[in-house]
Amino acid sequence: MDAIVVERLVKRYGNVEAVAGVSFTVPRGTIFGLLGRNGAGKTTTLECCIGLSKLTSGSIRVLGLDPGDKAQLARLRPRIGVQLQATSLPDKAAVGELLELYAAYYDIAPRTEEMIRRVGLEGKADRQIAQMSGGEQQRLALALALQHDPEVLFLDEPTAGMDAFGRRILWAEVEALRAAGKTIVLTTHYIEEAERLCDRICVVQRGKIVASDTPANLVTQYGGAARVCISAEGFAPDGALGSLGTWTRTNGEWLLVTPGEPGLALAEVVTQANAMQARITSLDMHRPELEDAFIAITGEKIGESG
Amino acid sequence: MKLLRMFLVQTQMHFRWYFLRDGEMMFWTLAMPVFFLVLFSFAFANGPSSSASSFLVPGIIGAQVLSSGFWGVGVMLATFREKHLLRRVYLTPIPPWVFFASLVAYRMVLLAVQASILVAVGAFVFHVRITGNPLAIFAILALGTATFVSLGTIIGALARTTESANNIASILTVPLAFVSDAYIPIDRFPHAVSAALRLLPSTQFIDTFRGVSVGGEALTHYAVWMLALVTWTVAGTLISARTFRWV
Repeated sequence: MDAIVVERLVKRYGNVEAVAGVSFTVPRGTIFGLLGRNGAGKTTTLECCIGLSKLTSGSIRVLGLDPGDKAQLARLRPRIGVQLQATSLPDKAAVGELLELYAAYYDIAPRTEEMIRRVGLEGKADRQIAQMSGGEQQRLALALALQHDPEVLFLDEPTAGMDAFGRRILWAEVEALRAAGKTIVLTTHYIEEAERLCDRICVVQRGKIVASDTPANLVTQYGGAARVCISAEGFAPDGALGSLGTWTRTNGEWLLVTPGEPGLALAEVVTQANAMQARITSLDMHRPELEDAFIAITGEKIGESG
Repeated sequence: MKLLRMFLVQTQMHFRWYFLRDGEMMFWTLAMPVFFLVLFSFAFANGPSSSASSFLVPGIIGAQVLSSGFWGVGVMLATFREKHLLRRVYLTPIPPWVFFASLVAYRMVLLAVQASILVAVGAFVFHVRITGNPLAIFAILALGTATFVSLGTIIGALARTTESANNIASILTVPLAFVSDAYIPIDRFPHAVSAALRLLPSTQFIDTFRGVSVGGEALTHYAVWMLALVTWTVAGTLISARTFRWV
């Protein structure tokens, strides 16, 4: 069964179409990523799924419930967890107090010790929000989203502003949640994060989904061919080397564009170069990555990539 | 049961975060009213005189009810919205009215503390006697709080930013305290002016509260003012409920 079904979602602010007809489904127990530049419409899409934003047209079902309907949203709230982009917690509130308060909201026993340990805030139960770094606040926000053990988790730019330590903690937590069968929707503009965490990625550009697949399939389909580059005196791509792919020569450097596995091609090139007794001065290989696919799909760089 | 727990924990957290950990707030809500009482008591009478102070104790408590509604609830809600705290709370199962009720409850606890201090200083320093029926006093305080919370919530609903909410609350609270029989008897104004000022909910509330608490009069004596306050409350509640946005 699908945890989330979004059909032809449109969200208009005045004359601006922030989301222009987005459709996707998220099967239960999978991690779904909305990848795109800032302002692409990822956050608005997510806000519509959690009832924060009223959609202009289209339909959304989360766990079979309509987040745009007041009564259904009330039934949905206890079953989802949300980490918002801008930290939105009171300055003078202490970590332990917030966990206690949220436990009351969700009618569960506080799991303060456990949550603090899970997000790496040990010894900081009495720390107030104003005294914490942005990354620590984001980790606390994650703990508040997780304490009631939700079935579906929404993370909006979860690692924005986090240091490497925070990112590792969040990634490990997301992977543990996948193992526990939870469904996760996250928005990100970090390619590395999307590639590492997501079972499926939707690339969002100007309010539309421009590609949607597993990270590996996106790379295969859009990432372009692998390349091997060699500079060597006395080297010529003759014989068996010619069948590896297309060879071109620029500035004394040979470039092989190969549809096959670039590692094997590289090994073959080196073997043949040695057989020719060529003297190698430089050797390079490029395997297509999600970033290549992203650039090919959107015609843009994502900006600062993780 | 679970709503009661949400309400109690939320009220307690409001009290800790916005009062106990805020020195400026403690000064304004606890020290300033006492300072006003002492200052005006000496200014209006030549030396400690129970008649000026008997006027001032209920007047200053009344002014605190006003600012609890306008600042404590109205401006706070605008601040919560601007800082995105309301958005975050909206995503959790706490019903908005429970969150709102706990904000009001926190201010009522604070009001009880403020009133107790003013009554104690009034009694020990200026020999002010609260002679009214405690139940009647409680009833008019509750009605006044309801009136100014409902009117204050309109500020929280209409103001787009904390700054504009602050400005609206200052424009309302400060002049109202001076023309609503809180600090200065409005009998000293020309009759036409004082009659007009009695149309204000603040004057209606403060006069009733003063009459019942230090005047020892029955609530029924103020039936018209009470009815007017109920009307203000209903109107304020309807307007706030229609215009308030949580996100």
